[in-house]
Amino acid sequence: MRVKELGKDRRAETITLFIGPQHPGSGHLRLVVELDGDVVVGIRPDIGWVHRGVEKIAETKKFVQVIPLIERPSIIDSANMNVGYVRAVEKLLGVEVPDRARYIRTILCELNRIASHLYGIGIFGNMIGTSTIFMWSFGDREIIVELMQELTGARLTYSFFLPGGVKGDLPDGFEEKLEKGLRYIENRIPEYNALFIENPVTEDRLKGVGVIDREKAVQIGLTGPNLRASGVEYDARMVGEYGAYKDLGFKPVTRPEGDSFARLMVRFDEIDGSIGLIRKAIREMPQGPIMHERTKGMARQVLMKVPEGEAFSRVECGRGELTFFVVSKGGDKPHRVRMVTPSFRNLIGFETALVGHRLADVPTVYGSLDYFPPEADR
Amino acid sequence: MSALVAPWPISLILEPEVFIPLVYPGLVVLTLTLLGIIWLERKLTAKVQRRYGPLYVARKLGGAAQPMADGIKFVFSEQIIPRNTDKLVFIFGPLLLFTFSILPVIGIPLSPGYTAIASDISLLIVVALVVIAPIVLLMVAWGSNNKFSLIGGLRDGYLMISYEVPIILSILAMAALYNSLDLIEIAEAQAGTWGIFLNPLAALAFFAAMLIATGRFPFEIAEAETEIVAGWTTEYSSALYMSNMGTSYTRMYVMAHLFTLVFLGGWNPLPGFLPASGLLPGLMILVKSLAVMGLMVLLRSIYPRFRVDQGVRIGWHKLFTLSMAAIALSVLLVASGVWG
Amino acid sequence: MTKSRTLRHLRAIRTGVKHLLFSNRLTCPYPDARQMVSERYRGMIRLNMDKCTSCMLCARACPANAIKMYVMDGKKLPGLDYARCIFCGFCVDICPVKALEHTTLHDVAYLDYKENQFPPEKFAEGGKDPYYVPGGVVMVEIHDKKGLLYKKKAVEKEEKIVKEEIEHVSKEGTET
Repeated sequence: MRVKELGKDRRAETITLFIGPQHPGSGHLRLVVELDGDVVVGIRPDIGWVHRGVEKIAETKKFVQVIPLIERPSIIDSANMNVGYVRAVEKLLGVEVPDRARYIRTILCELNRIASHLYGIGIFGNMIGTSTIFMWSFGDREIIVELMQELTGARLTYSFFLPGGVKGDLPDGFEEKLEKGLRYIENRIPEYNALFIENPVTEDRLKGVGVIDREKAVQIGLTGPNLRASGVEYDARMVGEYGAYKDLGFKPVTRPEGDSFARLMVRFDEIDGSIGLIRKAIREMPQGPIMHERTKGMARQVLMKVPEGEAFSRVECGRGELTFFVVSKGGDKPHRVRMVTPSFRNLIGFETALVGHRLADVPTVYGSLDYFPPEADR
Repeated sequence: MSALVAPWPISLILEPEVFIPLVYPGLVVLTLTLLGIIWLERKLTAKVQRRYGPLYVARKLGGAAQPMADGIKFVFSEQIIPRNTDKLVFIFGPLLLFTFSILPVIGIPLSPGYTAIASDISLLIVVALVVIAPIVLLMVAWGSNNKFSLIGGLRDGYLMISYEVPIILSILAMAALYNSLDLIEIAEAQAGTWGIFLNPLAALAFFAAMLIATGRFPFEIAEAETEIVAGWTTEYSSALYMSNMGTSYTRMYVMAHLFTLVFLGGWNPLPGFLPASGLLPGLMILVKSLAVMGLMVLLRSIYPRFRVDQGVRIGWHKLFTLSMAAIALSVLLVASGVWG
Repeated sequence: MTKSRTLRHLRAIRTGVKHLLFSNRLTCPYPDARQMVSERYRGMIRLNMDKCTSCMLCARACPANAIKMYVMDGKKLPGLDYARCIFCGFCVDICPVKALEHTTLHDVAYLDYKENQFPPEKFAEGGKDPYYVPGGVVMVEIHDKKGLLYKKKAVEKEEKIVKEEIEHVSKEGTET
């Protein structure tokens, strides 16, 4: 329906559609879409619906009390958010994390990455219409959540990493259950393959949609699997000094095409990569303490005063790179906590990837960028 | 059955002109089938998705009364009619749509001699009534005064031009094969082999076009939930919404009956315990139609949905060529003397 | 990936039908059955009034300011506000005399806001089941082909579950 072609003396008009927060396919985000017929000529995201003032509240809590606070924005990925903040505080304190604690941190972070990618794949499937993938991925995620509940005591809100180490050691019998869970996830990937990845309808919907090429991706500042799907080999696990990634020999996965299908496949490849990392970490786990001497015991954590200074830390969440900047003025509460979340940086992908595509590609690109509104709004 | 003496209300209902529109395949069995097929869709989809589906309403029957509970809830919720809509179209459009959707059943025979319209072009009548409904849908989508409804209605309009031609061509292929446009003769001619084995191309083209026509996955384009909220039914609530949902399943019911009669032999082969005339052979038609409907609802759990331009492209590239090939196959079978 | 489209359609339908016929359900039919959780589970918290030394470290550690001290017979005892509690477990970790411990109850649903505030007497009870679960407790087992299996409670029981059930049963006066 091209209004322009109907007659020369009629003004060509575009429809402005509010794919607003009250919409089955939008989450807590408003997308103001300008449509010329079925083609998107302009799109503007409108954020802030879930803003809770996390950075401001963090100025009123003690350093260790900030940990449950900054986990909540991206609760499906909370271990990685936790580790980002804790690394910054450790740099301010000047403590070195023991080796066993680093390996346990890696195991929990990688398990959480698998759960977060399954969540993203599920929401993506739901947005293009296959509710089966939504139910399957949430059902499979349940196995991972059960494992993490065995380890930490909570299903989603772990608060397991404290400055200086981790709260508890691996329970008895954990390695066998972990191996069974990982083998189950590996057995499920061929079924996802047959039903979703190789489905001709999925291929029609995803291939060639929302292409962001390599230079553009670097220029606009995309991050995470979206960046790696455009062929850029950057992962904060390579450069960050956290966890045991250097000892385990970590390599990022990339795809060259840059379309929605590549972004989906990077997430599946990263699930495989995480399974390998967890197995290797369990095999090579060193013995030793799990907490540094200076910060042992919750009383020391709650009552300690952190020396004056500023610290910056960078970790790789499921959705991309998360950066923390913590400023301390010598007291027991932080002066400023600044977090830049990956979903906030990926927002610009909407405007870049969607102009010129059709209305039905809006949920496709939304799901493939794996945008999580509470994380972006904090 | 007609030889027995019965009181006049019962013998009136058992007359074909009253039985077919009223009981089977008319309103009574349609209502029961709607309740059943919605429950079946939810249960089948739930099993594929590794969860339970409806469970609590009629515990012993596995939640089978859930659609009835939903229907009662819909009737009692508030009927909202937005201010700036075209009220006549908004209220009467869905009811007219439902009427047009159920109208084609008058041409469906239950056995040789038991039919509401005795005509030798009953196939053409049924097909013509099936394709008349979507015009009203465009009216309803415009009258809702909502951009999402408009986009949904227009998508359905686009798809209309892509499924109608394959339906009519594949029906014509079978009519050429059986050398008749009368549904009774077509069903009787399949006493030996069913139409689906004679001309599988026509069956495939008709099945795929049927998926597009009724808005089943992978062609659930007019009501794409994550793109345009609920398509043309966005502004509806309560009883009119229930009527809209019913319309979609009613079209599936009618087209499944047409598929059964033309491709699955209708009431043939007749098992020994059923008489060869009267209304009891309709049981065979019901069983086969339910199986076809079951397959259509199962596809919901397997496929995502297409975009509208891809749906139209499939209708014109693949289904049109397939139905033309079906016509060629029919002509070949007749001309070479293999059949008829 | 270069397989023909028809073959991929058939493979997708075959996977769907295989799951229709031969798959197990991953969901726990709550509230007909309640899932047993691990011993580290951070559920509702129970106070041991005899051990408490009124040091108030739990109130200082709580990130959500959920613990308030009440004065009872001249002694200060903590009370918990479950509308604020985030079940992080910092108070349990910090208590120097181990007067606070986690139970495995997680059904925290009350009819009234006032029922959420637990003064020290209620805090010492540790919360009770809001209702009786007909199917009992099921154990969750991770299986490498089927995912999660829910089995009826084994003979060896968790001590906390046994204690809670005996308390609950003795209050109701019925047989298990």
